Amino acid sequence: MKPSRHQAPLPLDRLILEAGTAGAGDTMELDVCIVGGGPAGLACAIELARLGKADGTELAIGVLEKAEALGEHNLSGAVVNPRALRELFPDLTDADFPFRRPVDHEAVYLLTSGSQIRLPTPPTMQNHGNYVASICEIVRWLGTKAEALGVNVFTGFPAASLLVDGRTVTGVRTQASGLDRDGKPTSSYSAPNDLSARVTALAEGTRGTLSQAYLQWQGVGSENPQIFALGVKEIWETRKPLDRIIHTLGWPLPADAFGGSFCYPLEPNLVALGIVVGLDYSDAALDIHVLLQRLKLHPLFREYLDGGELVEWGAKTIPEGGYYALPARRSGEGVVILGDAAGFVDVPSLKGIHYALQSGIYAARAIFQALKAGAPTAERLAAYDRMVDGSYIEKDLKKTRNMRLAFKDGFYVGGVKAGLMTLTGGKLLGGKIAVHADADTERTITPSVATPGAPRGSDRLVVSKVDAVFKSGNSTRDTIPSHLIVGTDITKEVADFYSHVCPAGVYEQVDGHLRVNAPNCVDCKATDVLGPRWTPREGGSGPKYKRM
Amino acid sequence: MTTILAVCEQRDGVLRKVSSEVVTGARRIADALGAEVEALVLGSAPASGSDLLGSFGADRVVTLTADGFGAYAPEGYAKAVAERAKGAAVVVCAATAQGKDLAPRIAARLGTGLAADVTEVTAEGGALVAVRPVYAGKALLRVKLTGQPAVLSLRPNVFTPVQRPKAGAAQTVAVPLSAGRVTVKEIKAAEAGALDVAEAPIVISGGRGLKEPANFKILEDLAHAFGGRAAVGASRAVVDAGWRPHADQVGQTGKTVSPTLYVAVGISGAIQHLAGMRTSKVIVAINKDKDAPIFKVADYGLVGDLFEIVPALTAAVKSLA
Amino acid sequence: MKIAVCIKRVPDSETRVKTAADGKSLDDAGVKFILNPYDEFAVEEALQRKEKAGAGEVVVLALGGPAGQETIRTALAMGADRGILLQTDAVPPDAFVTAQAIAAELKAGGPWDLVFFGKMAIDDYNGAVGPMVAELLDLPCVTAVSHLAIEGATVTADREIEGAVEVVRCALPAVLTTDKGINEPRYPALKGIMAAKKKPLDVKAVALAAGVIEVLEMTPPPARKEGKIVGEGATAVPELVRLLREEAKVL
Repeated sequence: MKPSRHQAPLPLDRLILEAGTAGAGDTMELDVCIVGGGPAGLACAIELARLGKADGTELAIGVLEKAEALGEHNLSGAVVNPRALRELFPDLTDADFPFRRPVDHEAVYLLTSGSQIRLPTPPTMQNHGNYVASICEIVRWLGTKAEALGVNVFTGFPAASLLVDGRTVTGVRTQASGLDRDGKPTSSYSAPNDLSARVTALAEGTRGTLSQAYLQWQGVGSENPQIFALGVKEIWETRKPLDRIIHTLGWPLPADAFGGSFCYPLEPNLVALGIVVGLDYSDAALDIHVLLQRLKLHPLFREYLDGGELVEWGAKTIPEGGYYALPARRSGEGVVILGDAAGFVDVPSLKGIHYALQSGIYAARAIFQALKAGAPTAERLAAYDRMVDGSYIEKDLKKTRNMRLAFKDGFYVGGVKAGLMTLTGGKLLGGKIAVHADADTERTITPSVATPGAPRGSDRLVVSKVDAVFKSGNSTRDTIPSHLIVGTDITKEVADFYSHVCPAGVYEQVDGHLRVNAPNCVDCKATDVLGPRWTPREGGSGPKYKRM
Repeated sequence: MTTILAVCEQRDGVLRKVSSEVVTGARRIADALGAEVEALVLGSAPASGSDLLGSFGADRVVTLTADGFGAYAPEGYAKAVAERAKGAAVVVCAATAQGKDLAPRIAARLGTGLAADVTEVTAEGGALVAVRPVYAGKALLRVKLTGQPAVLSLRPNVFTPVQRPKAGAAQTVAVPLSAGRVTVKEIKAAEAGALDVAEAPIVISGGRGLKEPANFKILEDLAHAFGGRAAVGASRAVVDAGWRPHADQVGQTGKTVSPTLYVAVGISGAIQHLAGMRTSKVIVAINKDKDAPIFKVADYGLVGDLFEIVPALTAAVKSLA
Repeated sequence: MKIAVCIKRVPDSETRVKTAADGKSLDDAGVKFILNPYDEFAVEEALQRKEKAGAGEVVVLALGGPAGQETIRTALAMGADRGILLQTDAVPPDAFVTAQAIAAELKAGGPWDLVFFGKMAIDDYNGAVGPMVAELLDLPCVTAVSHLAIEGATVTADREIEGAVEVVRCALPAVLTTDKGINEPRYPALKGIMAAKKKPLDVKAVALAAGVIEVLEMTPPPARKEGKIVGEGATAVPELVRLLREEAKVL
C-alpha cells in the first residue's frame, strides 16, 4: 500500500490567491507579515523591530499565530543550544533566558524489551553547555520581548492563503471562523482578513501549508524530498527525581524504523518524555502513540513514572531530510521561509530550535536591508539565503547530511554507516543518499503478523488516544467543519493505516469506512505527510500546550 | 441571647424546601455559639409550610410582610433583612438563584463581607469558619469570618435538614417598606417537555454501547420511570455519530452537569466525558467491560449486558413509585 | 451612553489547580490567565448598548495586579474606549473590600447610565461584587441577566431561577450582572487589537481595607470515595436499587 496513491494534492487554488480576490472582511497593511509565532517567527520580529528602532524607522510588523495564545501549538523535547538567543539578546546572559536547567548528566541506552545497555554518548549527542527547556516557555518569553518592542502579535489568526501578484507574494489571507459543520456561517461568523505586506515571512513550523504551496507553485525543488518523523510526547509529574537527560534507541521501535526516545527533566520531578519515529516505516499497523505507551512500561522509565501523574500530552512531526532536503532557495519575490518550515533541523543532535531562531535573525537582517533599499525583491531577499548558507546552520547540516538517510537501510546497517560518517566528519559515505518522500514509501499490510497492540488500558501509566487529546488541552468545538482533505479510494486497509498514523484518534475505521473526528486534531501534520491533507482551521482551535 | 437569622425562601406563598436546609445550618451555628435561631420569611402574608420550621430548630419564625413582598423584591427584602439583622450575630441565606442575588445586598447594607456558597460551617474560638468550593470545585477554601454580623449563603442540597425541634413561635411583622426600585413583573415557567440535561436532578446518559440510535428508547423508558425528574444525556461519540442532539451531550465540549444521580450506560469513561459529570452526587455505571475507566469514578457499578440490566432497572424503579 | 464595565483577570477554566507554598492561594506557575468569561458577556453587552445608542463611551475597570493591563487591553481590543486598572498586590478575599474600591472609582468617574459586571468570577465563584457596588452607589441592580431589553429608561431583564425565568424591571441608571445567553461576545478584530495599544489605560494604586474574610487555607477537594462493583447482570439490579435507596439515599 503506497500512501501517496490515496492522498489528495495540495489545494493550490485555495492556498494561492490573486491579491484583490473577493472574500475578505477587513484589510490591513503591514511592512512585514510573519506567519507563525514560534521561535523563528518571533526572533525575526524581534530582530526586525530592533533594527528599525536603531535606524529610527518605524516598521509595522505583524505576527500571525493560529493558536489562541503564544506557545499553545509549540512542542519540542527540548534541549536547546543557547547560541542563537545570545546573538538575539547580546545584553542578556544565559541566566536571563527562559531555560529550565543546564544539562549536567546524560545517558544513552539501547533498549531491549526488558533491559537496557548503556552506550557511549555519540559525539553528535553531546549536550554539555546546552539547556533543558520548554519551547512553550521560550515562545511566551519571546512574545513578551516582541510586544515590548512594538511588534503586533495577533493570536487566533491562522493564515489560510498566500496573496500574490504575478510571482510576488503580497501578503496573506486569514482563515474565517464561526462556520458550522457544513461550512455555513453561524451567528459567531468572522470573515477572513487580508494582510498585505511588503515582505511575508513564512515561519509556520513543520510541514507548513503555505510554505509547501509556495515552493510547489514556484517550482522550487530540493535534492531530496523532505522526510518526516512523528514525535509523541508526554509530561509527567514523578515521585522519583530524574537528574539526567536520557536518550534511547532500539526497543520498542521495529528494526526497520528510525528513531528513539528522549527523557528530559524540566524539574527533578517534572519530566518530559517522548518517542520519535521516522514516518518511512514499513509496517502499516505501526502506531507511534502506542509505541510510547509501551515505552513507558519499560523498567527504565517505569521506575520514574510509577505513582506519578500525566500532566500533558502532545504530538508534532519533525522534518528530518536535513541538508539535501533544504529547498534550493528559501526566499523569493516578497517572501522568505524560516525555521522548521524550511527544514533547518539536525536530526543526529536533535536540534532545531536554535537554527529556527538564527534563521529568523538572518531573515530580519535581509528583510530590513531590502526594505531600506525600497525593494523587497527576490534578489535582495536572497541575502537571507546567503547568510544561512555561510553560517553554522549550513555547516552543521552538511556535516550530518547522510546520517538519517543512512538508516533507510535499517537500524544496524544504518548504525554502522552513521558511525563511519561521524568518525570521518562526513568525508566517508558523503555522497548524497537518495530517499523517497514518506508517502511514496510502500507499506506492508500483514494482518497475520500483528504489531504488538496497545498495552492493557487499565495500567495507570497507559493513556488512550481519546484521553491523550484531552491532556493536550484540546477542547475544539465539536461542530467545527473538517479541515482535512481526504483523498480517493480509501479502502478498509487505508482507513486502518490512517487510524494508526494519527496519534490523536482523528481517524477511525468503522465498518470498512473512514470516520474523521476532525476536532481531535492537534496539528502534528502526520496526516499531511501520509494521509488526508491538513489545512488551517479556525483560529484558537486545536491543542493548548502549556509546557511542552 | 444572640440571634442567628435564617433567611428562608417562599414562592407563590409556599415555603421552598431549601428553607429547612437554611434553618438546619443556622441551628448548627446557633448550637456552637449558644445562640437562638430566628427563621425569617418575607412575603405578603405568612407562607404555608412555615409552621414546620420549628421542627428544624427555629426558636422563632418571623414573617415580615409588606404589600410589595409577595414576589421577590430585591431592594425591599434586602432593606428588611438588614434592618432585622441589626444586633444579630450571623445572617444565613441559601445560595439559590434568589439567595445569590439577596445575600450580597444584605452584606453590603450591613457594611460587611459575605462567604458565599458555603458547604461546611463551624465555630472556632467564637468565630465562624466556613468552607467554600472555588475554581469550579477543584479546590476548597477555608475562611474565617471576622465581621459582625457574619453573612453567609449555604450551597443547596448540602445541609440535609435535621429534626431539632424548637419552639418555632410564629410572629408576623408588617414592615413599612415598598418592594423597591427593582420589581418582578412575571415568572415564566420553563417550557413543558424534555427536561434539560443540565437542570435535571437525575441524568441517564448513553454511549456507543447502545449500538444503535433506536436503542436509546430503553434509556428514555428508564428516565420516564423516574417520573419527570430525569433527562437523557449522551456521550460525544453518539452525538458525533448523529444519534442524539448536541444539546444532550455531556462532557468537556458539551454540557457540564451535576445531578444528584448520574447513570452512565454503555459509556467507557473518557476523561473528556468525566469532565462534564464528575461532580454528580452519585454515579452509577453500567458497562459490559469491567475494565472500562468509568468504573473508577462510579460509586456503584454493574458489569454486564445493558440490554438486560437497564430494563430490569426500569422495572425496579417503577415498582418503587 | 456612558457605560462602565468591571472585569476580572482569572485563571483559565482548564487550569490544573495546585496550592501555592503559602497553603492559601493558587500556584500560578504556568497558569494561563484570561478575561473572566462572564465578563466577556458584560463587555459585549456594553458595546452593543453603546452602538444602539449611537454615541457614548465604554470604560473598562479592573482591580488587581499589573498583569490586569493585558486583560483590560483584551476588552479594549473588543472595542471599549478606555481602561482603568486599580492596582493592588492581591485581590482581596472579601468582595466588599473590592466593591468599596470600585464604587469609589465609579463615583469619581460618574454619573453612569449603565454599569455592567459578569455574574460571577470563575475563580472565586462569589458573584457578590456587582450587587455590592450597586448598594454602595445606591443604584438599582439586576443580577444574572440572560436577556436584556432597554426601552427609553426602562430595563426589562430575564434571569433564570430554579425551573423558571423571572422577568424583572427597573429604571436606568442601573447595575446589571450578565449571564450566559445574553449575547455572543465578539472576537477582537485585527484592527481592534492594534488600536487597543493606543487607547488610554490609567493605572492607579489603591489602598484597600482589611476586610472580614480571612483565608485560612486552600486544599484539594476530598477524593471521591472508592466505588464498588455491585454485581453482574440484571440479577444485581435489586441490590443496586437497595443501595441507592438506603446507602446513597438518592431514590
